[in-house]
Amino acid sequence: MKLLYAEDTADLNRAVTAVLTMNGYDVTSVFDGREALAKLEADAFDAVILDIMMPGLDGIGVLTEMRRRRIFAPVLLLTAKGEVDDRVSGLDAGADDYLVKPFAMKELLARVRSMTRRGTEYLGDDMTVGDVALRAGTFELSCRNTVRLSVKEFALMQVFAASVDRPLETGYLIERVWHDAPEADADTVWLYVSYLRGKLRAVGSRLSVEGARGGAYTLVSA
Amino acid sequence: MQSIYGDKRPALERVLGLVEARVDDLRRQMIDRYGADPVEHCLSRIKTEESMREKCRRKGLPETTESALGVIRDAVGLRIVCAFLDDVYAVRDHLCAAPGFEVVDEKDYIRNVKPNGYRSFHLILRVEGYFVEVQIRTISMDTWAALEHHIYYKKVTGGPASLIEAELKRCADELASTDISMQTIRDLIYSTEGL
Repeated sequence: MKLLYAEDTADLNRAVTAVLTMNGYDVTSVFDGREALAKLEADAFDAVILDIMMPGLDGIGVLTEMRRRRIFAPVLLLTAKGEVDDRVSGLDAGADDYLVKPFAMKELLARVRSMTRRGTEYLGDDMTVGDVALRAGTFELSCRNTVRLSVKEFALMQVFAASVDRPLETGYLIERVWHDAPEADADTVWLYVSYLRGKLRAVGSRLSVEGARGGAYTLVSA
Repeated sequence: MQSIYGDKRPALERVLGLVEARVDDLRRQMIDRYGADPVEHCLSRIKTEESMREKCRRKGLPETTESALGVIRDAVGLRIVCAFLDDVYAVRDHLCAAPGFEVVDEKDYIRNVKPNGYRSFHLILRVEGYFVEVQIRTISMDTWAALEHHIYYKKVTGGPASLIEAELKRCADELASTDISMQTIRDLIYSTEGL
């Protein structure tokens, strides 16, 4: 499970990173908002923990920008005690949860568990990406025409749709889409990417999936 | 009563034979080259006297040879049912490239699916002065068209009709998805990388 953690207070950053790592998370920790955005651009995360008070680009700025760039990873905001306005504007900007500082490690861990548990449920809505509509209720992929996707094709397409124009590693895709299928491997991913390529063409979409077998794949919007 | 086709029936049969021969020619080529027949089956017919007259009446045309051969374009018809999606286009290309075959009109209802979910490639050719209507599609598309034809849901009015239409379209979209998956699997098997 990959987490991104942005916190400018060095001691706290080190301590929280250590606890999260000890609890089995793969943590990327950064010390300011710009660095956080750069990491979000470059890689995919299962959840993001953002301190609101950071110099330069603050937590809400990062959150607003990541949602604008269609990065839908769940976000936990760390806010100062009493700052009700921060919490409200954070939730309005698309945060999934917040935690008031100072917090107990136990509670942070519980909130991260709760946030990541939702996993693909978080993507359970209809989405549009580029010229394509994905309808969760019917598994439809629509542009000029419509086809019905299989469960795994749909889940894979949702993961791509949540990270347009960002490369997603084969291993990450297996974890996200085939977590319940231990037999799935790089060839499985490649086959399903090939299915999606054919189906995107069939509905008349301009979207394409780039990348070679075993490597990272990118849903390209233009 | 004289035939609506006048004395042209032998000419129509000859034209039908020419198009069939062109299809057979591609089948032989592809069997030699890939060991696989692109055509699952091929139906051909000259429209019956009775249904041609019925079509003239329906279209408000006089029941003459001129209407049957000069206005209506499906006196000679073929339905070519292919194994895979790419085969549909291989057949289309081979027919269009035939010397003496003129392409009058083509409609790609595979790339531009009809609202009810119908998928097929329609081609109107002119061969030796006669129109020939060719429908090319995959087994799945043909299955859907055949089964849809068996359901007389259009008689139903109100709520259930729109539900049935939506459900039939869903079936068409599922079958189309399967066609693409099967094509993808075949491509992977034939590609250098293989599975």
